[in-house]
Amino acid sequence: MVQHISAAMSFDSTAPRALDTASARGAVYADIRFEVARTERIEVRNGVVATLSDSTSRGYGIRALVDGTWGFAAASDTSDAGLDRTAARAVEIAKAGAAIARRRLGEAPPKAYADVFATPVHRDPEDVPLNDRVALLLEAERLLHAGPQIGVGRAWIDLWRTDKYFYSTIGSKIEQSIRQTGCGLQALAVGNGDVQTRTFPGDIGLYASGGWEIVERAALRENASRIAEEAIALLSAPQAPSGVTDLVLGGSQVSLQIHESCGHPAELDRVMGWEANFSGVSFLELDQIDKLKYGSEIVTISIDNTMPGGMATVGYDDEGSRSVRSDIVRDGVLVGYEMSNDTARLIGRESNACVRAESWQYVPMIRMCNLSLRPGEMSFEHLFDDVRDGIYMESNRSWSIDDHRLNFQFGCEIAWEIKNGKRGRLLKNPTYGGITPAFWNSCDAVADAASWVAWGTPNCGKGEPMQSGRTTQAASPARFRGVRVGVGYGG
Amino acid sequence: MDREQREDLARRVLAFSHADQTEVLLVDREASLSRFTHDAIHQNVASADLSIAVRAIAEERTGVARTNVLDEASLRDVVARALAIARHAPADPEQPALPVGAPPPAPAEAFAEATARATPQLRAQICEDIFRAGEAGGLWAAGYAATERGGITVVNSNGARASFDGSDAAANVKMNGGDSSGFAEAYDTDVRRLDGTLLGAIAAGKARESAHPRDVEPGPWTVILEPAAFGELFSYIADHFSALSFDEGSSFLSDGLDRTYLGENVTITDDYAHPLAPGMPFDFEGFPTKRLALVEHGVARAVVTDNYWAHKLGRENTGHALPAPNASGPQARNLVVSAGSKNAAQLIAETKRGLLVTRFWYIRTVDQKKAIVTGMTRDGTFLIENGKLTGGVRNMRFNQSILEALCRCEFASELSRTGGYSYSVVVPAVKIENFTFSSGTGF
Repeated sequence: MVQHISAAMSFDSTAPRALDTASARGAVYADIRFEVARTERIEVRNGVVATLSDSTSRGYGIRALVDGTWGFAAASDTSDAGLDRTAARAVEIAKAGAAIARRRLGEAPPKAYADVFATPVHRDPEDVPLNDRVALLLEAERLLHAGPQIGVGRAWIDLWRTDKYFYSTIGSKIEQSIRQTGCGLQALAVGNGDVQTRTFPGDIGLYASGGWEIVERAALRENASRIAEEAIALLSAPQAPSGVTDLVLGGSQVSLQIHESCGHPAELDRVMGWEANFSGVSFLELDQIDKLKYGSEIVTISIDNTMPGGMATVGYDDEGSRSVRSDIVRDGVLVGYEMSNDTARLIGRESNACVRAESWQYVPMIRMCNLSLRPGEMSFEHLFDDVRDGIYMESNRSWSIDDHRLNFQFGCEIAWEIKNGKRGRLLKNPTYGGITPAFWNSCDAVADAASWVAWGTPNCGKGEPMQSGRTTQAASPARFRGVRVGVGYGG
Repeated sequence: MDREQREDLARRVLAFSHADQTEVLLVDREASLSRFTHDAIHQNVASADLSIAVRAIAEERTGVARTNVLDEASLRDVVARALAIARHAPADPEQPALPVGAPPPAPAEAFAEATARATPQLRAQICEDIFRAGEAGGLWAAGYAATERGGITVVNSNGARASFDGSDAAANVKMNGGDSSGFAEAYDTDVRRLDGTLLGAIAAGKARESAHPRDVEPGPWTVILEPAAFGELFSYIADHFSALSFDEGSSFLSDGLDRTYLGENVTITDDYAHPLAPGMPFDFEGFPTKRLALVEHGVARAVVTDNYWAHKLGRENTGHALPAPNASGPQARNLVVSAGSKNAAQLIAETKRGLLVTRFWYIRTVDQKKAIVTGMTRDGTFLIENGKLTGGVRNMRFNQSILEALCRCEFASELSRTGGYSYSVVVPAVKIENFTFSSGTGF
């Protein structure tokens, strides 16, 4: 970041004006969320700095509740006239919705908070000179060119700082300064009539809340040559087999599996049909709570929006609810959902603060936030011991799941065969598929906490207008029995 | 902000710069969307923003900075930041001079005042028209009605000047029955042409007619993909027409142009002036966008370029730049697949046994080079027997090379605009032989 823009910013004097305007126009409740977002992206591609950009976006979104119906309006115009116009617009929109509604879905939040939250940052990225940030990527990207087969090398860093100021007519006043950082490498190898890609760390890079320490932890330079050599080796590797076999997934792929097959179906708005026309519905229907055997007994998946390093770690969500920890799947059984105030109330529960908006321009909605698969007892190396014939896959390359979140097919960048408990030869184009509950019920081992990583996802899509969410799925590698593999390649 | 105000602001920002070359891009956008489920709007939103991006080039070094804070100090700051970033960037000798061209006028239909001025009451009325269409039959609906207007202005220090005002409107619906669903959508630059009642009726008809779905076996099927399904499938080869993909070897065209890759009945253009999707006649560098034949009768003829990639590959600049900085390369923004000679009803009537697919979901690339993709059917999949629709079938997953599919296809004679959050294309329905389904579902 080139400078601090919002360190001394306060909306204490402007927020009441907007809330008063909304109330005067007929809102029984209103809140306003000011945001100042600073982003920096550096991307090196084949030795050239293809992207070096710095962006500031400042604005606010106002929610107004009229007759049990919400309206939302957002603008970047922070003048008095702009605030008045936007507040009035939010109320007008709510009234237009109320006029045709056969049901009332909205109520004011039950609690107000006055608090401050800031992401812990061990090393501020602003203390690392821009020249050094660029130099790190140039060096890491150069190391990707381990052979003439490498057609494209890429290396990138994303730095995000979002300052939020939330005020409501029931007295909430919450200030939050959220810092998120990510970085990664990718090598694309071309040859033998084929194209193969390797990405590091994981399949999208390492993304977490925090500062420069995340870039240091990623160790891009230390891993670049290995990643490139793997991409080259994949060009001449045999095709991964098709059939039914035992499967060990690397931690980042387990993260993706959690994201798609647990995180999304447990969104309560989806369960209630609020996403039906786009993202879809969910097989985790309300009558399945405390009954559905989602996975085997070793499968416990929790929401923890207080998790250190989680991309969704905040003090309060974007409708002013305090972050908590709660379970979705406990010992294999479905026990909860990701909830907002309104959806939780409709099933007689309290929000677990899973509401986020991409930015000031967007209405807050349910997101999966931080999920975590409880680590097991076994070390990663011992996951292979009991596999006579199987495949180990790492780093997602392709992901698709139906609109009920049941039938999935995922592909990975790289795999190794497993023979008699040992990792064997390299395999390319690995894929696997299944039906969600059957798959999680086939999980018979999760690696221990030593290999548990909070894998951040910086770009989860949901909603209309489409919003990009930042989530985390913390996971260790895990083992699954009798899985269909090779789909898409004859399987 | 109107065009003159945007251009004045852009010129004012440009004048702050002391870089060797400077580009200023203004995007002024106001978008509204009313989204409903069952019989109430649950997300009803509007947003307005004007952002400014400054690209500064100094001694072959490039920096980009953006802001939406428009006071004098912030505007000066964004220019200074772009230049400061450029001074930290390594030199790129391949960077060409910023382009200058004379864009033609935008198609008249690209902007409709009625859309720009649409009210929340109008959007609510469209929503109500849609969900009312299902109520009588015991169906429930989920969908949206949206309107937006946008103004874009690009100027640069070499003399480029380009401005565009556009509008867009859209609505869609998934109508839900006990064990079935149906889908309908519409896109138009003029909101007055969106007919909620018609959309609701189409989707409700599909939901009713696909009720009590039966299982069919996965495997190779003759399919007829309606435009929503084919458009999403087709969008997964859009990247292949980029000069970047072409150059790096990940495009199916990378073996060379003027070769036959697809069936002789396949013609693909990129056309911002198509009447179903009239759009911006220049790119985000302000350079005129060429109306381009990418594939003619199965033969690859062109890839799209921008200033950088045209220079790098020694090709013509076709005017397909995205906003700087852009590591993704140029992109085709207005793809059109040419229609065939028989209407969709004839294609169904000529099918002895097959499947009619309304819509796909969650398509993802499995193999980039072979353009193999996987995805699911949803919201109205029907069995065709002896030329007639004979009821709904449960949804299935497919794994299919788009290239192979486009070597054994027949297009319908009607064109439609279809789209999603990341694409907008104009396509006909298509009949494809031996389309490969790999597994099923219970719904």
